[in-house]
Amino acid sequence: LHPPYSSPGHSAAMSIANLRLADSITCHAWNNNCSEVAICPNNNQVQIFKRNGTQFDPEPLHILDEHDQVVSGIDWAPKTNRLLTSAHDRNAYVWRFEQNVWKPTLVILRINRAATHCKWSPNENKFAVASGAKVVSVCYFEVDNDWWVSKHIKKHKSTVLKVDWHPNNILLATASSDFKARVFSGFIKGVDERPGETPFGSRLPFGELLAEYPSNGWVHSVKWAPSGMQLAFCSHDSTVSFVDVSGGAPGQLQSVKFNGLPVVDILWLNEDALVGIGFDNNPLLFSRNGGTWSFTKRLDEAKKEAAAAGANRAAFNMFKAKVEVGAESNVTNLNTLHQNLPNCLKSMNPGASVREFSSSGLDGIVSVWKN
Amino acid sequence: MTTTIKPYTNAIRATLTASCCLINFASQLVERHNKPEVESKQNKELVLNPVIISRNEKEKVLIESSINSIRISVAVKQADDVEQILCKKFMRFLSQRAENFIILRRKPIKGYDISFLVTNQHTETFLKHKLVDFIVYFMEEIDKEISEMKLTLNARARIAAQEYIKQFV
Repeated sequence: LHPPYSSPGHSAAMSIANLRLADSITCHAWNNNCSEVAICPNNNQVQIFKRNGTQFDPEPLHILDEHDQVVSGIDWAPKTNRLLTSAHDRNAYVWRFEQNVWKPTLVILRINRAATHCKWSPNENKFAVASGAKVVSVCYFEVDNDWWVSKHIKKHKSTVLKVDWHPNNILLATASSDFKARVFSGFIKGVDERPGETPFGSRLPFGELLAEYPSNGWVHSVKWAPSGMQLAFCSHDSTVSFVDVSGGAPGQLQSVKFNGLPVVDILWLNEDALVGIGFDNNPLLFSRNGGTWSFTKRLDEAKKEAAAAGANRAAFNMFKAKVEVGAESNVTNLNTLHQNLPNCLKSMNPGASVREFSSSGLDGIVSVWKN
Repeated sequence: MTTTIKPYTNAIRATLTASCCLINFASQLVERHNKPEVESKQNKELVLNPVIISRNEKEKVLIESSINSIRISVAVKQADDVEQILCKKFMRFLSQRAENFIILRRKPIKGYDISFLVTNQHTETFLKHKLVDFIVYFMEEIDKEISEMKLTLNARARIAAQEYIKQFV
């Protein structure tokens, strides 16, 4: 187990805490007061670490070991304190914290391929699981049988990579590797009340495809704005697209192409700002000015002093590399906080305006960013 | 008089950095499996268009990418028969030790001399820019090595022939 360290001499303009909790982290989720974080260290376990301000405890508080394959999605419900995990072994578990132990309950998803992502609905009475079976399982708790039952949303032509619930607890947006972002109805009779007027109409039978947005690359992630009046999705062709549905569906689509490698996860900071992370290892800020979205800046600016200290490391590394590789070698460390793909963004104070958010990546670093 | 290799390797470096954006992706066809999609090519939507970067008709690089894996095939310059034999033997030597190289493929793609297969597991454990550096460095060095080997070969042949002829002189 690696001892935790914080990134050497790095002044990300906004990172207030960061720690390498594992070799590689697939996904993470915070509890309601952000005192504990659950991560998957790229294996079949989920580990929960305690956080004290800018430090994390080096050893995990709990280890949840029920899955057989890598855990692809973790979501922690803030109000009911339940953990939802989904994995490539086609299963999802709902975990309850009782008597200081996390107890799992298997959910019958009825999918025959890997689960790729999972998300609690805003009211936490339902959740959605995206899967490689080209299907989204929307699950709700059936009190009569005391277990979680699933209903399927089909209509995808390829693996569903991510899902996101609309604040009204009914609409569900999906991101798929068939180059499309879609909006479905996740209305469950008996669990949800009648939705009322939404930008997509008021008659929303379960599984109905309400809107489809095209893209030129695999759609990696999709997120609703806090008001539910805008939708954003990012694709592999280095674009982030914004849809404004306040005037009714399907709404106006704006695609922002930026100069860099693709973005794999996005997070709304407020109605006019969105942050994305991707293969550049650097959080990118997009903002809206007078109705038009554009790329604003990269959030991770390396400090000049770090470059100077880095120069000594560079000389050291160069000679070290000459011995090992037999050739000139430049500095091995990247000058961004994340050394490998950061692939999960979570907000730490959900609401209309996000002040703090966190990113976790394949380099094993979990970083807290302050706005 | 050959042109400098820099523009060629820069183009390869840029294409590799962009194509090497891989994510973990479980198989859509077989449950609980995780295959490199560029090898199985069963799902058309997951495989990107292949790109060939060529310096001339003999030297080229084929880059095929997909959502979780990338295959890079290199055609090495072989000016004459001697270089052809040397190249073939050298590449075979490396390919048979593909386990130690980790990202090497045991058999090259048809039409090329050597192939690499990089999967999301490799990009998770290694730094991507170093992987790209390695492949570009490999290509630059191959040419040098083969030229060197050819010179050594000719030198040895000349010495051997001299010694043999001496007994008749």
